[in-house]
Amino acid sequence: MKNGIIIASLVAAGTSLALAHHSAAAFDTSAQKVISGTIKKFDYTNPHTWVWIDVPNDQGGVDTWGVEGMSPNYLARRGWTRTTLKPGDKLTITIRPMKDGDKGGMWVSAKRPDGEVLMMGGAITDP
Amino acid sequence: MESGSNTMERTRQIFFGFLATSLALGPVAVAQKVTRPAPTAADWSALAKLPDFDGVWETVFGGGRGARAAGAPAAPSLTPEYAAKAKALASQAKKAEDNPTANCLPPGLPAIMGQPYPIEILLTPGKVTIVSEAYMQVRHIYTDGRKLPEDPDPSFYGTSVGRWEGDSLVVETVGFQQVPRGISFPYSDKMRIVERFKLTDADTLTIETTIRDPEALTMPYSMGARTFKRHRNWTIAEYICEENNRNFVDEKGKAGINLANPNASTK
Repeated sequence: MKNGIIIASLVAAGTSLALAHHSAAAFDTSAQKVISGTIKKFDYTNPHTWVWIDVPNDQGGVDTWGVEGMSPNYLARRGWTRTTLKPGDKLTITIRPMKDGDKGGMWVSAKRPDGEVLMMGGAITDP
Repeated sequence: MESGSNTMERTRQIFFGFLATSLALGPVAVAQKVTRPAPTAADWSALAKLPDFDGVWETVFGGGRGARAAGAPAAPSLTPEYAAKAKALASQAKKAEDNPTANCLPPGLPAIMGQPYPIEILLTPGKVTIVSEAYMQVRHIYTDGRKLPEDPDPSFYGTSVGRWEGDSLVVETVGFQQVPRGISFPYSDKMRIVERFKLTDADTLTIETTIRDPEALTMPYSMGARTFKRHRNWTIAEYICEENNRNFVDEKGKAGINLANPNASTK
């Protein structure tokens, strides 16, 4: 048990410091996938925001995808608010997909129909 | 299986046993505590003469960890015993995909000082308090001249005392539990972390972190200096990790994401 904890500390030292809370182990960081649909719900929550988006599927219905984003405290200093994404908004999101093929991923960037690009990283807009 | 009443009786015996023990040990524990006198107006005004560390500080990334102290090695110099431990750990086949922070357990010192969220430093008479926005954690650094404890209870952030050396605040911390804390080598319960806080310009703070460990290290290991930028108009935000955490790492070290029930968060 003690060894397990030490291993965990070694792993922690090797992970990116830009991710506060966890590693990107569940995501395929070598791949990107683009999904388009309609925002169902935007969780402006810690430790991550979650964008739930209804994406049309091959069967004529929709699948709800979950996209993990940065946390509100981080985003708020970069111009985001809880209403930056609203239910009903059309959006095309580029994600790092789940390794297990589940309908989810990590936010890379997104584009609105009018061409506005939404990033979650980038410069601090609240100096 | 023992009956409920037997269990209850045993619980009662244990409780009174504890009570008797704590009554016997009570005066000793109290004697170890430092009673701080009420701060005077002079104590408060003396703070104005200290370097101005007050405020909210952004952790600056991308600039590297900065320069190590002159002559300090770039890699930790482990004792033979701890080099063997490190080797044994490295050779263990299956490494965890993630660490317990995925389950919202905060990392210990020094990793708590290197999160992508800001810290706030508060100076009051006899004490420096550091608030970490990440995980909403607090460090308590006593600058009233008290000594470090001889046999501290191990914890995530340890027990800290600080002293002023010219324009630098030197913080020494002991008493570390074996938890993820951003240290790349196995360490003992004798580990001591020394942090030097210094303003390099009006709104830039550097913290140089050095690890001493008589059992694990043959010489002090400098982790280099971390840089922080002050934002006078920032406030510390709320960060309740358990609010809507969908990340996890299981007992076998497997990392995952829970995508079930998008309506779980009502926010």
